[in-house]
Amino acid sequence: MKGKQYALLGLFLVSTLAAAKTPVVELEIRNHLFHPEEVRIPANTKVKLIVYNRDATPEEFESYELNREKVIMGGRKANIFIGPLKPGVYPFFGEFNPKTAQGRVVAE
Amino acid sequence: MLINSVILVLREVLEAAIVVSVLLAVSRNLRLSTRWLLASLPVTAIFILLFSSNLDAITDAFDGAGQEVVSAGLQIAVFAGIVGVVFITELQRSGHVGSLRPLPLLMAITVICAMIREGSEILIYITAFAASGENGAAVFAGSAIGGGIGISLGVLMFAALRAVSAELSARLCVFLMALIGAGMVMQSTMLLEQVDWLQPGRELWDSSALISEQSISGQLLYAVFGYEASPGLVQVLLYAISVVLVALAWVLPHHFAGVRDAH
Repeated sequence: MKGKQYALLGLFLVSTLAAAKTPVVELEIRNHLFHPEEVRIPANTKVKLIVYNRDATPEEFESYELNREKVIMGGRKANIFIGPLKPGVYPFFGEFNPKTAQGRVVAE
Repeated sequence: MLINSVILVLREVLEAAIVVSVLLAVSRNLRLSTRWLLASLPVTAIFILLFSSNLDAITDAFDGAGQEVVSAGLQIAVFAGIVGVVFITELQRSGHVGSLRPLPLLMAITVICAMIREGSEILIYITAFAASGENGAAVFAGSAIGGGIGISLGVLMFAALRAVSAELSARLCVFLMALIGAGMVMQSTMLLEQVDWLQPGRELWDSSALISEQSISGQLLYAVFGYEASPGLVQVLLYAISVVLVALAWVLPHHFAGVRDAH
């Protein structure tokens, strides 16, 4: 194996390990509300959010603080990677129902 | 529901309206026909229908990263279109006769790419919530008001760009295109980070206390040049590189003209 191939193998292993370690947090949208409303995640760690939309209507997961936006059609799910985040509170909301669909990620 | 609809549709329309108004001003400055815009509208409508009706399949593609990858691709296409428009425009201004021919098609493609995603989001929103009896009228009315304000602001921008001298207008258009294009690239990096295709760098600063992204000024700045209150290292770097690329597309044709004239 040449140096470049070793480097590629190393990169592959690191990325596989990193992927294996990414914590997964699940939340749901029901009746235009997030369940749970508060998601606690470790600070300085990348986390995979899986958002299930249990409503028949679509929703857009949106957060200015997390720099995230994704349309989730009715009855579907969406993967959204967030972080690594400094300790703090990061609100998110459903752009199609911003009055009710509100939640926050707490990194600690 | 009414106010929500106004804000949602305004945000989406404003971004596309600014791209359209600047390209329209460039087109008028060069005394080109603006038929490309009319021709691009039905094509955009078809793509919006295709995109929104297939969003489930698009979202599931690339192991769940499809929605972001397609959106980021469209945003990068807008940026590439803008670089092309600046380059061709400046080529003509520096004396290359007949170089404008590809411009209308390029502008049409750029505008179509800029409108697909925003248009689909509006369509998905309206079709889902206008049907829900009680809120239907509010969603329709709010969307119409939001769309109206967004288009009006675009028209206002076009009028302003046409009201100043030709030289100033040309410079302003390039300046705006650099900001819009770099903003698009920055947004696309965030989408790719969202699906873990791109590793987020550390946050460089947080100006949300100064200008919040939720505020009206924050929203306007976002629409014009992709303002982010807390950008990461990768985003800022790509933003800077994008501005430099537009600047090169602006300067190089004149440089070549200078070299040619010297011979």
